[in-house]
Amino acid sequence: MKSLWQPALLAVLLTLAGCATTPKREVVLTGNVMVDAPNAIAHGPPRDRVLWEYRLAAAAMRQGQFALAKQNLDDALLTLGGIYGNDPNAKKARSYFHAEAKKTFIGEPYERSMAYIYRGILYWMDGEPDNARACFRSAEFEDSDTEKHEYAGDWVLPEYLDGLATTKLHGDGSDAFKRAQAVARGVNLPPYHPEANGLFFVEFGPGPTKFATGRYGEELRFHTAPSPVASAELNVDALRIPIAPTDDVNFQATTRGGRVMDHILGNKAVFKSTTDTVGNVALVGGLATAAASRDRTTEEVGLGIALVGLVSKTISAATVPAADTRSWDNLPCYLSFASVPLPPGTHVATIQFLDPAGQVLPNLTKTITINITTTDRDKVVFVSDTSLTPQTL
Amino acid sequence: MKLLLTKISILGCGAAMAALLAGCASSGVKNPSGVAVTHINADEQGFVAGTGVESQDMVMVADKMSRSILSIPQIANAATPPTIVLEPVDNQTRFPINKDIFLTRIRAQLNSKARGKVVFLARSEMAALEQERNRKRQGAVTASSDPNVQEFKGADYFLTGSLQGLSTRTAAGTSDYILYDFHLIDARTSAIVWEDSAEMKKQGLEDAAYR
Repeated sequence: MKSLWQPALLAVLLTLAGCATTPKREVVLTGNVMVDAPNAIAHGPPRDRVLWEYRLAAAAMRQGQFALAKQNLDDALLTLGGIYGNDPNAKKARSYFHAEAKKTFIGEPYERSMAYIYRGILYWMDGEPDNARACFRSAEFEDSDTEKHEYAGDWVLPEYLDGLATTKLHGDGSDAFKRAQAVARGVNLPPYHPEANGLFFVEFGPGPTKFATGRYGEELRFHTAPSPVASAELNVDALRIPIAPTDDVNFQATTRGGRVMDHILGNKAVFKSTTDTVGNVALVGGLATAAASRDRTTEEVGLGIALVGLVSKTISAATVPAADTRSWDNLPCYLSFASVPLPPGTHVATIQFLDPAGQVLPNLTKTITINITTTDRDKVVFVSDTSLTPQTL
Repeated sequence: MKLLLTKISILGCGAAMAALLAGCASSGVKNPSGVAVTHINADEQGFVAGTGVESQDMVMVADKMSRSILSIPQIANAATPPTIVLEPVDNQTRFPINKDIFLTRIRAQLNSKARGKVVFLARSEMAALEQERNRKRQGAVTASSDPNVQEFKGADYFLTGSLQGLSTRTAAGTSDYILYDFHLIDARTSAIVWEDSAEMKKQGLEDAAYR
């Protein structure tokens, strides 16, 4: 009877361990986002769904699979739009014993903005410039609450395109143009030409990724690599148009400033460190006291202190201050835009990408055949330095 | 020594049990198994809500507009039912929406409640209608009337509208105000013979984990 309580307690603990260890949804990755993303969305953890939808959308746009991009961005933006109020996963992410990555991924502000920018391009492709404008406004909005209000709402292209869409809808886009020019950082934006029906959205260079620093990985940082592509050039009909970067996604990622979550992670790190220190002191001190004691009371006190130390160490070990480093890792570095008038007929456009010295990188050149059937509606062309070539639109 | 080890193991097991219970995956999680699909009315707010345009807003706005249109003299006292063409709504908010849904619902409400007081013209189907008329004119299909007579109706009025928004975002949360404006334009004179609006303001704050 005396020896039964230990196996009984062990059985209870094993049962509870089963409760705590739910089966993990693991996805085997092939490295091809067009394969991995649908698999991860269907079988992976739901908290990563939006991340994979973002990645798939970007990859799909570069493959010319715009319907697929649309479908994934719409689902992702639905999740983004419904994040208000009680969110149990977000609450867990703030708690001491769960990582930030427990929360549903919706991205940092620059990632949310990019989701809206891509969706805006797709709306414009479908002949809905007002819905495109709505997306560009949301893209700016996602960047509007920054720490110390520096670099708030400083995307250039969404502001510029807001005004262009308004102009094309017979409104006054001059306010949006002024806002865009004010944040353009040395770039002279071309005036609006509403009659220019060929709209080219161009992206190039590698975008930012995330990593963590700090004693417990509680500090979120961004890795930005220098872009081998510094600019582009559009050749269509007899026109030769240089395309300089208008927005820098790396800049947007690194200048947003601190997050509220950074303070929470900082507190978690302090808690972890403190409980660890307390645990060490109590464990060593308690055991030393128990070992050196000459009476039972002192021995028990020492053991009690040691146990407190053990519990404190356990709590410290269980505390997870690690920052969420899940990244939309196939974003570009630079965004740009050009518009040209294209009469009805077939046009072959060539987009060349240039290195910082102005030399063409021939392996990146893209060729797009554009069929204009009507000038009542804009023809939107999306090109990336990683796009499939040739394409016909 | 044996007593010492027993005491440590009792207290240690107790602490471990407490830690396991604290970390139990489903504890404190609302609806860990999800929520089955339930049917709710379109004019009710569901448990999934944002600060943008939602079904209950659309229902309220469309209902208000359709009641308002029917009360104007140009509709109520017209000798023959006026013909109306729907023009696309202009979305000036930050929310991409299915704009057609507003006019579709207003049209459906009017057709349902107006009992023939207004007639809507299916301008979106003109290509198919002209093709059918051409077939009749060529004798490729039968016609119950002379297909050479111009019977396509012209619009007496255009019904259109705009959605305009004001949005604010601070550390205290996000606030979105939307003004839904609809108007009826005389196709002959360009006069706005009817206009009505509805406004909505919503605010919310996301969890600190997302800020």
